[in-house]
Amino acid sequence: MINFEEELKKFHPSLEVEDAEDAIYNQDLTDMADLLVKMLKETEKEEEKKAKEV
Amino acid sequence: MYCYNCGCHLSEHDFCTACGADVSVYKKILSVSNMYYNEGLEKAGVRDLSGAVNSLRQSLKFNKNNIEARNLLGLVYFELGETVAALSEWVISKNLRPEKNIADDYIERLQSNASRLASINQTIKKYNQALAYCYQDSRDLAVIQLKKVLSLNPRFVRAHQLLALLYMDGEQWERAERELRKCMDIDRNNTQTLRYLKEVERMLVPDESVRQGAKRKKEETVRYVSDNEMIIQPLNVKEPKNSGVSTLINLGLGLVIGIAAAYWLMVPAAQSKAKAEAQKTITEISSQSDAKTARIQELENEADRLAEQIAELSSEVEGFVGTGGTMQTFDSLLTTAADFVKNGDNAATAADLENIARTVNLEETSEGFQALYRTLLETIGPELSVTYYDEAYEYFRHEEYTAAIEGFTNAVYYDAANVDALYFLARSYHKNGDDGQAVETYQKLLELFPESNRVRDSRQYLRELGVTTE
Repeated sequence: MINFEEELKKFHPSLEVEDAEDAIYNQDLTDMADLLVKMLKETEKEEEKKAKEV
Repeated sequence: MYCYNCGCHLSEHDFCTACGADVSVYKKILSVSNMYYNEGLEKAGVRDLSGAVNSLRQSLKFNKNNIEARNLLGLVYFELGETVAALSEWVISKNLRPEKNIADDYIERLQSNASRLASINQTIKKYNQALAYCYQDSRDLAVIQLKKVLSLNPRFVRAHQLLALLYMDGEQWERAERELRKCMDIDRNNTQTLRYLKEVERMLVPDESVRQGAKRKKEETVRYVSDNEMIIQPLNVKEPKNSGVSTLINLGLGLVIGIAAAYWLMVPAAQSKAKAEAQKTITEISSQSDAKTARIQELENEADRLAEQIAELSSEVEGFVGTGGTMQTFDSLLTTAADFVKNGDNAATAADLENIARTVNLEETSEGFQALYRTLLETIGPELSVTYYDEAYEYFRHEEYTAAIEGFTNAVYYDAANVDALYFLARSYHKNGDDGQAVETYQKLLELFPESNRVRDSRQYLRELGVTTE
């Protein structure tokens, strides 16, 4: 049985044209490739640190 | 595919040939992104737009620079009526690849039509308003607002879904089903739509218990509630078997009804057409008749005019030929001239000339007539003048001045040079007491005959009459 109140919560106000600019700026564009590059760079840094300590 | 470390073009190897970085995982990530893109493309092709959105978003999570996936995601959003989301994706896509990007075209098409963009914005605002009405429990207003939204943008799936939810809440299952079918036409695999549809169908199909109970009955029915009404729909209703005779009767009835309908529909039309043609013919005949009447009137007027001309000409001819006419006057003058030449009777000729002068106005006669008349008058004039003078003088001597005046007047008329006749005419006036005529005649004598021996006496009498002369 469908609960109207619960279903209504799933509907959200739609973005208006004036809000499009903010929506674009605030969009999180980080992707898996970015994360990979970040991870690889962090790994490299840690390896360099360990190498210096040794 | 470019190296994430140095930006060089990657080869088939798992490392960058330029910087030596390990790109095996990076390549896998990009290939997963491409795989999701392909999946999204396939789903969009079969109108599974919700599925396409999920796949394309997954693709972008793996590779934000997958421009094709982002552009397609924008298109799918646009098809779902989510215009702002579509615009956002295309703007980001254009930022990531400013040149040779189809998103540029999409944005330009949308922005070039200002009225369409305004209409889209209005649609979104109305949708948000409808949602606010829902939260405020003003569901009727929300339904009205959503209907407006869908009249502006019939592809707005979320509006269809919300409207269907409102109908479901109001137990208007058929209307809800209609809205959900429209959602299905746009997006065939939307989970929310399918869930709502399942609920609606469950409410529309008959109860299991009702169905089982109904099996025992001869007439099976379907019962369901819609818009506060219980709908009872009979099932497996068959036509009666004795249909042979009834079919013939029905055919006959149909034929009769058909003929009657044809009669009632076609006969008035035919009558109307015939009437119209008759009216047209009458109009043509009437116009011809009018033209002929006008022609007759014209000819009658012409005939009247010609009759008048004939009458005028007849009267002219009568004037020439008839009694007292010009021709007769000519005849009289010629006869008089002939008699004078033959007999030399001055008196008779004078009488005839006087008759002619009485019957005709000499000024209106022809030159020839006047010349002949004057010639005769001049020929017989002096002798006639003497005759009249002698007679008049006798009257003068016997003091019968009236008769004398008449005689002397004739003598002067027939011979204007008869100075004695003029003198005694003046004397007769004088003696008769007509001083005015006397003075006039004396003066005429002095004027016409200044050398005459009657001048001296005339002046003397004028002095007696009180008129001074030289």
